[in-house]
Order: sequence, then C-alpha cells, then structure tokens
Amino acid sequence: MPDSTFLDSTELVLNMGPQHPSTHGVLRVILKLDGETILGTDCVIGYLHRGVEKIAENRTYTQFNPYVDRMDYVAAVSNGLGYCLAIEKLLNVEAPPRAQVVRVILTELNRIASHLVWLGTHALDIGAITPVFYCFREREEALNIFEKYCGARLTTHAFRIGGLQYETYEGFERDVKAFCDMFPAKVDEYEELLTGNRIWKGRLTNVGVLTADECKEYGVTGPLLRAAGVKWDLRKAQPYSGYEKYAFEIPTRQNGDTFDRYIVRMQEMRQSVRIIEQAVAGIPEGPIMGKVAKVIKPPVGEAYVSIEAPKGELGYYVVSDGTTQPYRVRVRPPSFVNLQALDRMVRGALVADICAVIGTLDIVLGEVDR
Amino acid sequence: MADEQKPGGSEAPLPAGGEAAAQPPKPSPPKPAPPPPKPPATMAATPWESDLARDLKERFGGQIGETSTYVGQNFIVAQPEAAVPILEYLKLEADFDYLVDITAVDWPKRPERFDLVYILYSFPRNERVRIKIRFPDGYKPATSVGVHLTANWLEREVFDMFGIEFAGHPDLRRILMPDDWQGYPLRKDYSIIQQDQRWVQENLGIESGQ
Amino acid sequence: MTAGTLLRKVFLVDLFQGLAVTFRNQNPKYMVTEQYPAERPKVAERYRGAPRLNINPDNGETLCIACNLCAVACPENLIVVGAERNEQTRRKELTTFTYDLSRCMFCGLCEDACPVDALELTQDFELASYSRPGQIWDRKMLEDGPQPKQYKC
Repeated sequence: MPDSTFLDSTELVLNMGPQHPSTHGVLRVILKLDGETILGTDCVIGYLHRGVEKIAENRTYTQFNPYVDRMDYVAAVSNGLGYCLAIEKLLNVEAPPRAQVVRVILTELNRIASHLVWLGTHALDIGAITPVFYCFREREEALNIFEKYCGARLTTHAFRIGGLQYETYEGFERDVKAFCDMFPAKVDEYEELLTGNRIWKGRLTNVGVLTADECKEYGVTGPLLRAAGVKWDLRKAQPYSGYEKYAFEIPTRQNGDTFDRYIVRMQEMRQSVRIIEQAVAGIPEGPIMGKVAKVIKPPVGEAYVSIEAPKGELGYYVVSDGTTQPYRVRVRPPSFVNLQALDRMVRGALVADICAVIGTLDIVLGEVDR
Repeated sequence: MADEQKPGGSEAPLPAGGEAAAQPPKPSPPKPAPPPPKPPATMAATPWESDLARDLKERFGGQIGETSTYVGQNFIVAQPEAAVPILEYLKLEADFDYLVDITAVDWPKRPERFDLVYILYSFPRNERVRIKIRFPDGYKPATSVGVHLTANWLEREVFDMFGIEFAGHPDLRRILMPDDWQGYPLRKDYSIIQQDQRWVQENLGIESGQ
Repeated sequence: MTAGTLLRKVFLVDLFQGLAVTFRNQNPKYMVTEQYPAERPKVAERYRGAPRLNINPDNGETLCIACNLCAVACPENLIVVGAERNEQTRRKELTTFTYDLSRCMFCGLCEDACPVDALELTQDFELASYSRPGQIWDRKMLEDGPQPKQYKC
C-alpha cells in the first residue's frame, strides 16, 4: 500500500470484497480512503485461478481447445480464434477462405455480444437498471445464432485448428442478415436512453482519465487506448483471418475518460455490424478445414499470435517441443494488464467512481485469473 | 532383474525364477548395434538480418547471443544482465514503447533452467520483437518496472508461477495463488494434481485437496 | 446558455426521452420472457446436451463398435469403454460404457470423434440428479436417455 502512516487516523481501509455486485466477478479491491476520496487501491485477484496454463501442458492441442473458451467466458469465440490462429501459425497452415469469412462473422457477433454485456452491467453499476434488460434481449439473438451453429451459447468451442468443424447451418445467412438489420436501431435505442442523459454524463465525464502516454506505459489496449486518442486496432495494424478485406473504421476519442470509452464501444458495435454485413454478403464456397493432420504435432518452435479481442490485445505464446502436447501455452490476458491501470485511474476520485471505472475497464475475472 | 546382458547369452546367469531354468539358454544372433540417439530437435530458426538487429549487435556486442526469426517472428537471445539495458535502448532509441508480455518457460533438463521472454511492440513501426534470456535457478534478474510500468503485475505473475525473483521490484508478492502458498505451480516438477497440503488443511479444514 | 438549452435543462427533456423508450417497451408485443417450466425452450438441432448411445433402429443393436476413439478424444478422460472380442464374428463388441457427466464440459469432441455416429450429444439439458454417483451414467442410461420427472404446472 502506498505511503501509509500507521498513526494517521483520517485514513480508512475499506475492503470491497470478492463478493460484490459491481466488481464483475470475484475481484477484491482494498481501498484506502480519506472520507470519500480514494488515496490508493490494491487489487487482490486469483479467486478464479484454475491453472489453465498448467492444464495446457497435459492435454493435446485439440483437447485444449475447449478450455480456452472458459477464460474470457463472455467472448468465448474470440479466445478460440486466437488459440487456433496461434497453432495454425506454428503448423504453418492457413484456414481456407470460407472458414475465414465464417470466423470473422462469428467473431464480430461475439464482439457485439461482449459489448452488450459490458453496456448492460456498466449501466447497472452506475444505477441505470433498464439497459441491462434490453442488452440481454439483443444478446439472445446473437446467442441463438451461436447455438444453431455450434451447439452452445456461451462456451462455444466454435473453431478448430485449421478451420471449422461444422458447416454453416441452413438459414445461417438469413439469421445473420436479420440480426444486422435489427441491431442498429437497438443501438440507437440505447443511445437514446443513455447518451444525452444528464445523470449519465455527470457520472461518466472526467472519471477515470487515462491519457495516451499512460495507456502505453501500462500496456493498456483495446477501447481504453482508442478512447485516449491512439487510433490503433490489431485488426487494421496486423490483420488476421481476412480482416484486410473489410472496410470499417476505428472509432477514437480524445479525452480518455469513461464517457469516451462508452462512445467508443457503442461505435465499435456499429462498426462490427458493418463488418458482418460485408462478410455475409459474400461467403465463398469451398472447404472449411485446411490441410491439418489428424494428430497435431507442430515442429519444435514457438510463436506469439495476438488478436483484437473485445477487451484488448489477447495474445497466445505457444512453445512446442515436437510432441502432441504443447510445452507451454501462455495467454496474455487483456483484462489482467488493463486492471493494473485501475490504481492510476482512481487516485483522487470518489468512492462512487470505483464502480464506474471497474465497469469501464470491462474486465472478466476468468481472463484476469485464468 | 538382469543387470548385465551378455550378447551371446550362453553363459548368462539364469534370471531368478526365470522360465529358462529347464533348458540351457540358446545363443542368440548378435544384435546390430543400436543406432546412435538422434540429437533432440531444435527450432528451425533462421538468422534475422535487419537494421534493428545490426544496431543492437553494435550497441551490445557480445551480450547478444543470436538474432533469429521463426515463422516470421523475430527474437534475440541475450545475456541475463543485458535484458533491462536492451529494453531501455529499444524503448528510447527504437520506439518499442509497449511491453506486451513477460513470461517464462521452464526447461528443467537444461542447466540454465529458465527462459524469460519479453515481448515488445512498437506503435510507430508496427513491429514485434521478443527478447529471451536464459538463467539457472536462483538467479535474480533485474526488474524492468523502471522502463515499463506494466511490468509490475507481469513480473509478479512470473514470480508466483515460477519462483523467479526480480531484484528491485517494488512489491514482489504472489498475485494469483494465495499469499502463503508453498511451491511454484508452473514449474515442470510441480505435478498437475499436487496441492499445497498444508494450506488446504489449514484453510479449508479438509484432509487433502483431491 | 441559450434559451433552448436552459429550457431543456429545466424541463428534464433528456430524462423524459429515456422514459419514453421505457414506456414504449411496455407494449405486450415486446415481451420476451419465457415462462419456464411451462414453456420449454426449443433448442437448436446441434445443441450439445445430454449424451446418448444410439441404437440401430432396424435390429435394436447398439451402433457402437467399441473403437475407443471417444475416450481418447475426451479432454477429461471420463469415458471408459469396455469391450470384449466376439470369437465368431472376430469383432469387438461393446460390454460396458461409462460416462461421467459431472466432469463433462459438453465440448463435443467425443461426438466429433465417433466414426459411426453412435455417441451423440442430444438436446436434453435437464440433467440434475440427487447424488454424485447418479451423474455417472452407464450404458443403459446412455441408451435410454435422461428421463426427468415431468410435473404438470
């Protein structure tokens, strides 16, 4: 704890314990307060640590695929995409074009679903109880598409190493197009509820400011970096899975406060709809699985592949020793690195702002702890 | 059990309680010499030629072991004491301002057991580079918190999982495991179902974790 | 502040805009709540639910050829296939098949691995049982499927 003096009686140490409705999971934050002003925080994490990296050393590459969904369980499809891309890099294969397009569609749907959870829970923490119902209503539509495609709504296990397992179902394009037609009006509805609202603006502007330099120092990526003014998105900077073919914009804002991050994520949802419309307009015919052996044994080597997950840069560093089981799988979790910046963001703010800042960081404890 | 096997076998001592007690052992044809063991496969990395690699070699000379590329990703292997100076040089001179990750890999059979990997990214150049240092158990590498603030929690996690202490770290304690856990989970000699029995008995009140 | 902004501020226009959205959604045609258990959700065809061992409809024999591929594919090693060799047909025949549902994560790798479509994850999702051993299914339970007690609401 920074600068603590034992005899100072105006400081209060408050425990925002692992069971708390606003901490989005089992996160414990120890606050040092002076009245209502926060002097310092200390995050205690690890309540959801399941040893995923250790498990990876004892499973084959294909067997580890379902475990990866359970880290960032809100956006499971992105986790699977990152892992499959990393192993495909080691094997030096590329998924066929049809598989790439379907992967993009599902990943962007997943991004929308993840941002809907973010919006609903963030608004709920601030006190706006209505948006969470509307957001989850739209999320149902996206999850129905996942269920019809791969059989599960949350822990999808949608992709396989080298491509896809399942062919798209009858009516996939129709469902996705219906979602894209319905969704922008719903985003307008959320904005109508929140963006102009004086309570929302009052709670969110100038709260949790993180400038671009601070973001880079702390390694913070994703919507937080874009709200601070850095126009950087891994889908444009180092495109993967065919993202270079789609025209979309990177929303950025200037101030780096919570309201800007809200605007950035709302616009990201709209840009995702744009990408999905372009992708579903032309799904090429062809095989859905690349040339991958039944038993996956990459040559000795290592690779680091990262993707733009809804939360930030999600990276997989895989070391292979030539056997069927990976030697080391390291997951670079965006929520873990973003959570480090919490201390900087709430220094000097009020207690009420802690909930807003944790909500805007968009952390999922499954990813923080793995 | 047979400690020595004589090729030929006619005067081999009979195995205790073996089935060949009734008959004299038959002379077996000489076996061909076993092929020499293949050297363990290594990464098929190719040397990495670029301005950056040349600048680094010029600046750090013998402290850089090799600069290579594998599947299009560049990495350099350096001496352990050169890690933080290289990170500083890359941040100030070469615009690698974003430390993506710090992680470690455990190779128990090597004398230099741990491989510490720093992954860096440069926004202006849109490039990634990896820096690997190798050191034995017990060595304490210098902390890179002074260069990149994000190293704080990343190094705490490496300490928690591998037991690698970082000299100079402001707050080195366990981050994912409970504070009084014994043992370092991601080391290869820590089996997957091993638990800290003492912790489980004290804190959960049960006999064992399984 | 202009007159327009002042009026908007005093008369709480932005708050009423939000309330208009909420009241618009009170229309009964927007209700999306499913009254479970009276209305059960219709899950997709590919839903990964309860495992079943399929039986050949013509002769009532099991389709499983005891190849053990599902057990090898499972990340949790919770399938145990018992087989014995039938001397007349020179083939392996299935004797016991144990599936531990408590550790299953319904990933579908066993279903993907089965070459004859004998093991399938069906649409049943009501899998509660009263005891831990009740979650370990043997061959009979896998062939019959879960039969939850249905109560009339």
